[in-house]
Amino acid sequence: MKHSYSSVDKSRLLRDVIRSLLLHRVWFFIGIQDVKRRYRRSFIGPLWILINLGVYVGAIGFVYGVMFGQDLKAFLPYLMLGFVVWGLISASMVDAGMVFVSAEGYIKQFSYPKQIYILRALVSSSMNFVMGLAAVALVQIFLGTFEVTGWLLAIPGLLLLYIALLGHTTIFSYLGTAFRDLPHALAGVLQVVFYLTPIVVPASVLKNHGLEFVYLVNPIYHLIEVVRHPILTASLAPLSTYGLVFGYILVVYCIAWYVASRLDKKVVFLL
Amino acid sequence: MTQNFIRLHNVGVRFTGDMNTDGLIGWLARKRSGESAPGAYTVEALNDVTIAIEQGERVGLIGLNGAGKSTLLKVMAGIYMPTSGIAETEGHVCPMFEFATGFEMHQTGRDNIRIRGLLLGMTPDEIEAKLPEIEEFTELGEFLKYPVRTYSAGMFIRLAFAVSTSINPEILLIDEVMGAGDIRFAKKAKNRMFEFMEQGKILVFSSHNFDLLKSFCARTIWLEKGRIIMDGGTEDVIAKYESSQR
Repeated sequence: MKHSYSSVDKSRLLRDVIRSLLLHRVWFFIGIQDVKRRYRRSFIGPLWILINLGVYVGAIGFVYGVMFGQDLKAFLPYLMLGFVVWGLISASMVDAGMVFVSAEGYIKQFSYPKQIYILRALVSSSMNFVMGLAAVALVQIFLGTFEVTGWLLAIPGLLLLYIALLGHTTIFSYLGTAFRDLPHALAGVLQVVFYLTPIVVPASVLKNHGLEFVYLVNPIYHLIEVVRHPILTASLAPLSTYGLVFGYILVVYCIAWYVASRLDKKVVFLL
Repeated sequence: MTQNFIRLHNVGVRFTGDMNTDGLIGWLARKRSGESAPGAYTVEALNDVTIAIEQGERVGLIGLNGAGKSTLLKVMAGIYMPTSGIAETEGHVCPMFEFATGFEMHQTGRDNIRIRGLLLGMTPDEIEAKLPEIEEFTELGEFLKYPVRTYSAGMFIRLAFAVSTSINPEILLIDEVMGAGDIRFAKKAKNRMFEFMEQGKILVFSSHNFDLLKSFCARTIWLEKGRIIMDGGTEDVIAKYESSQR
């Protein structure tokens, strides 16, 4: 195992990234430990995820469903899916700011490339997501709208979502380390984006008011749609949605690469 | 079999401290006014360091506090990137730098052993196989089931030390970590450390203990203000170093 570090070496970052991906045992284990820690000493543990989701859907679902004249049978899964995917996206931006900061003790004394801590964050934030998806499936079964085809068709969307989120987490983990205000600012901005994205509000309501552009220009809407649309309708999302997500991923990765190559060496000094 | 080595060629490490404290807003304000950051500073932690250490060598590092010993070890470990020059290593690097940080406070001692083992390059199977031995060495018994936030400083050291010395190192980098724990543990640790240092195919360690350096290293490097002052036989280097401090 040869390692070469040079001030002018351009391929080191790429080698570190590949090495990190291969160290899946390390980041997966630490990620799972994070999840365990979150619910240690809690009586019902991860069931809290389901309870919180249930309370949210119960309260918002009925009120907004009636307000917007939605059929609850379709609206409840819609609301849940949007909320669950949103949670994961928001973690990839806000929580990502702490990725390197909270791993300071590790980064300063172990030799592994620091990208393993980015992957670890993705593992630990996936717990809520997986539980949430399971809850959606249960609700769908209960309402009699569960379709296996829909869930299978959501797989490409889920993959795209995770690829995009890996990019997000990378960008914000580096920027959050260098600019400690960023996570706070982002939390505020995302609050606004949450209400502008069709999650609580059905997209059709915005469309009927001539506000279609509000969500069409919002990449987060498309990230949600590639997962939500197939599960709800048992058919693939419009091709343009996949295209937009793909384009978004390209842009995100270009930014991620730029940010990482500028800050990667500095991170350890910024902690 | 491949030969292990550490080769540094004109390595320099320069810290810049201007982004440390003032975050986004300060950065934007400075960008607009075009002035440099208030209190911006640079530290030349290492300057033009060229060293070649080949398989089988044991090298000591001496120098005053702040001379660059830890920085040099961190460059060898791949934790700090050189800001100039090239650093190359061949072999699995095992750093032993800090025993008081890098714990998951809310997790049990046992889970912390697992995490530490993974980060030092052990496989999960290896860790499980060595777990009884590691646990025994720590003498922490029941406490291994408790979250480590309940541990005392000495208990952290026991845990970290036991894990770090249970691996098979190729390149072993040690930063002044002798004298761990209470009297009983310190004695036990010393013996284990000596065994451990014998195993490493390459050993680089910093110390202020001249007897230790003389007994372990044929070669010693003397650093001062980030530069190599002398690189040669341990006896010679220590003699010069001692006379310079008088």
